[in-house]
Amino acid sequence: MRRIIAATVIVGCLAGGALVRAQAPAPTPAVPRANPLASDPAAIQAGMAMFRQRCADCHGMDARGVRGPDLTQVWASGRTDDGLFRTVRRGIPGTEMPATNLRSPDDEVWKILAYLKTLSAPTAADAPVGNVANGERVFRAQCASCHRVNGRGGRIGPELSRIGSARSRTALTRRIRGAEEEWIEGYEPVTVTTKTGQTVRGVKKNSDAFSVQVMDTRERIQGYVRSDVQTVTEAKQSAMPAFDVTRLPENDLNDVLAYMATLKGFDPAVR
Amino acid sequence: MRSTSTLVRLALVASLATVTLTAQQPAVPAPVSNQDLLNGLGADGANWLTFGGNYANHRFSPLTQITPENVGKLQPQWTFQTGTLGNFETTTLVRDNVLYVTGPQNVAWAVDARSGRQIWRYRRELPPNLTACCGLVNRGFAALGDRLFMVTLDAHLLALDMKTGAIVWDATLADYTQGYAATLAPVVVKDKVIVGVAGGEYGIRGFIDAYSADTGKQAWRFYTIPGPGEPGFNSWQGDSWKIGGTGVWVTGAYDPEQNLLFYGTGNPGPDYHSASREGDNLYSCALVALDADTGKLKWHYQFTPHDVHDYDATEVPILGDLMINGQLRKTVMFANRNGFYYTLDRTTGRVLVAKPFVQTTWAKSIDAQGRPVLEPGHTPDEKGETTCPDLTGGTNFWPPSFDPRTKMFFVNAREACATFYAYKPEYVAGQRFTGGAQQVVNTRDNRPWGALRAIDPATGERKWEYAMPTPSRAGLLTTASNLLFAGDGDGNFLALDSVSGKLLWRYQMGSPLHGTSPVTYMLDGRQHLLVPAGTSLTAWALPAESR
Repeated sequence: MRRIIAATVIVGCLAGGALVRAQAPAPTPAVPRANPLASDPAAIQAGMAMFRQRCADCHGMDARGVRGPDLTQVWASGRTDDGLFRTVRRGIPGTEMPATNLRSPDDEVWKILAYLKTLSAPTAADAPVGNVANGERVFRAQCASCHRVNGRGGRIGPELSRIGSARSRTALTRRIRGAEEEWIEGYEPVTVTTKTGQTVRGVKKNSDAFSVQVMDTRERIQGYVRSDVQTVTEAKQSAMPAFDVTRLPENDLNDVLAYMATLKGFDPAVR
Repeated sequence: MRSTSTLVRLALVASLATVTLTAQQPAVPAPVSNQDLLNGLGADGANWLTFGGNYANHRFSPLTQITPENVGKLQPQWTFQTGTLGNFETTTLVRDNVLYVTGPQNVAWAVDARSGRQIWRYRRELPPNLTACCGLVNRGFAALGDRLFMVTLDAHLLALDMKTGAIVWDATLADYTQGYAATLAPVVVKDKVIVGVAGGEYGIRGFIDAYSADTGKQAWRFYTIPGPGEPGFNSWQGDSWKIGGTGVWVTGAYDPEQNLLFYGTGNPGPDYHSASREGDNLYSCALVALDADTGKLKWHYQFTPHDVHDYDATEVPILGDLMINGQLRKTVMFANRNGFYYTLDRTTGRVLVAKPFVQTTWAKSIDAQGRPVLEPGHTPDEKGETTCPDLTGGTNFWPPSFDPRTKMFFVNAREACATFYAYKPEYVAGQRFTGGAQQVVNTRDNRPWGALRAIDPATGERKWEYAMPTPSRAGLLTTASNLLFAGDGDGNFLALDSVSGKLLWRYQMGSPLHGTSPVTYMLDGRQHLLVPAGTSLTAWALPAESR
C-alpha cells in the first residue's frame, strides 16, 4: 500500500513536472558571445540582402537611420554581438521594432549582424601595422587637444575611446588626410557674435529657429537666443583640419592608426 | 406616534435637501446628437465633438477671445503627462468641460478641463506581436450619445462609456496577425461609425467599414482594392490585388448634402517594387467618394496611379465651396503627399486645380484628364533613383486647416528628396512587405526643411510661407480672429497671423507636435487652447484681466 502511495506520488510529481515544463517558455539556448559568422563573405552578402528586405525600410539603406535608429555606430557605442542578437530576436516591446519571426533561424540574424558590422567596423584586411606607443605620443601631441580618449583630452571633437571598433583604417586615413569631410551633427563649426561685438567660436551642439547651443573653443557649453545676438554664422567646412604629409608624415600616420585600432572602449559590456 | 412624526419630519428634510441639491447642480447636457455633429463647432465654438471640428474638416474655430494682439499673453493652465511610451497623434474631443483623449499604445483618458486631472483611464491589453507600421499611435475618438468610439492597434473598434471608460462593445475589424492595424479617428454619420485599416506595409487588402453605433454590428464594407469582376480589378497584375495594401489610416470628410464620405487611400504594396504589381492599382493613392448609408462608390480620383514612392493619399480632405473662374463650385481640397495640391469638384471628382506646393520631380504636371504627366527615370531599382518629395512627402497625415471666411487653405509642408531603392520582395503573411527602402538626401548643403504655407485653393497659388529649419509634423488650427496655430519641427508651438504669415508668439513644448493638432474651446467664459506635444497635453488661456 505504502509502495502504491509512493508510486502515485512519484507519478504525480512527474506528471506535474511535465505539465510545468510544458507551460513554461522553452529555455533560451545559450547565445554565443561573438558572431559566429563575422567576416564570412557569403554570410555578409546574404546578410546584406536580408537587411535590405527586412530592415532598411526603417533603418535606411545605409543603416544610418530613418524612423529607426542609426545602426552603424552600435558597436562603437559599446553594444556587443550577443546583446544585439538578443535585441533583434526579441524586438523592443512598445516600439515598432518587432521580434524576429521565430521561423527565421538564428543564422539569419547573425548574417544581418555580420553585414551591419562591415558598414562601420574595421575589416579583417585592416591588419595592424605601425608603432602603437609612438602613435599614442603623436595622438597626444596632434589630436588630443580636441579629441578625448579614455577620460583624457579635449571635448570639442568627437570622443574616440571606441574608434577602433567604429571605423576602418581606410576611412580614418581619408578623414585625417582631409580627402573626405564628414558631417557629424553636434560638431559643425559656428561663430556667434554678440550685440557687444564679442565673438564666440565653437561647435554647434543643437539649434532651432530661435536659439543655438554651442561648445566654444574653451569647452564652455552655452545657449544663445538668436534675437539677443548680432549674428550666428555656420561655417561650411569641418572644424577638423586636414593633416597632410607635412603636418603628419606617413610613418606617424601609420603609428596613429595603429594606436587608434587599439581603442575599443574601456567598458564594452553594454548589453 | 412620536416616532412616525420624526420619520415624517426626517423624510421632509431629506426631500428638501434633495431639492436643494438638485437646484444647485448644473444641468446634465443631453447626449451627443447627430445634430451636434452636423453643427460642427457651431456659432459658439464651445466644444469639439468630431475629428476635424466639423464634418468638412475645417479645423477653423469661430472663437475670437484670443487675438493677434493678446496671443503673447497666453499662460499655461496645467500639463497632463501620459506616463506612456510614444507620442500623441490625437485630436482631443471636448464636451461639457471634459476632454476625451486617446494616446499611444491604445491608452485613453477623460481629463477634467479645469484642472488637468484624470477622471478615468482606459488601457487596452495589446498582444505582443503587433505589426503596426510607423508608431503605436492613435488619432482620436469619435462620439455619439454617451459613447466614445476608438480603433485599436490590433484592428478592433471599441465603444466606450463616456462616463466611465468601460467597454460597451468590441468589434473585430480584421486579423492583426495578417498585418492589419487601426489608428485613425472614427467618424460617426447618422447611426454608423466609419473606420478604416492600416497595414499598407504588410500585404493587407485595405477597406473602409461602417458599424452600428448601437450594437457594433458591421453595416457595410468597401474594399479599397476591387475583387474579381468588379470595375478596377484589372488594374492589378495577377494575384497582386490580394496583398496590394491600400490601407485607410486617416479620417475622411462627410458631405451631408450628398450623403457622401470622402476618404484618402494609402499606398499600394509592395511599396517600391513596380514589377510586383503592374497596372494603375486602383483605388490606391486615391480619393474615394462613398455613399454613407451603403458604402457604394460614387466616384474616385486617383492622385498617383501605380505609385512607387509610398505616396499614400492618406491626408485629410477638406470640403468647401469656392468661386473658381467666376463659378461657385462645391469642392474638396487636398494637399497630397506626392507634392501636388488639388481642388476637386466634390460632386464629380473632376480636377479643378492641381499644382505642386513643394519641389516635385516625379511628375511635370497634371493633364486635363487629371492624370499626372510623368518625368522619366523615377521608378526605383536596386541602384536607386532620387525623387522629390521623399517618402514622408510634401505633407502627410497631419491635418491642414481651411478658413471659410477668407477661403484660404493652410498646409504644413516639407521640402525633402530621397533616393528610393527597390528589390523583389517575398510575401510572408503578417510580415513587412515593402520591396525596398529610401535614403533621405541630407547633406550639409541640401537638408530637408519645412514651411507653413497659405494656398489659395481656387488657383493653387501660394499666398505666404513661414519657413522652418526642420520639417514639422504638426497639424494646424485657425480661428476667426485671424490666428493660425501650428508647431515647428524643433518643439516650438507657434501662433501666426493667418493673413500675413507673421510669427506672433511661440513656446518651446519640449517635443514637436507629432501629427496632432491643437484644439480650442470655451471653459468658464475663457477661450482655451489644448496642445498635445510628445507625451504631454498642455492647456493655455489668457489671464482673466487680459480679455
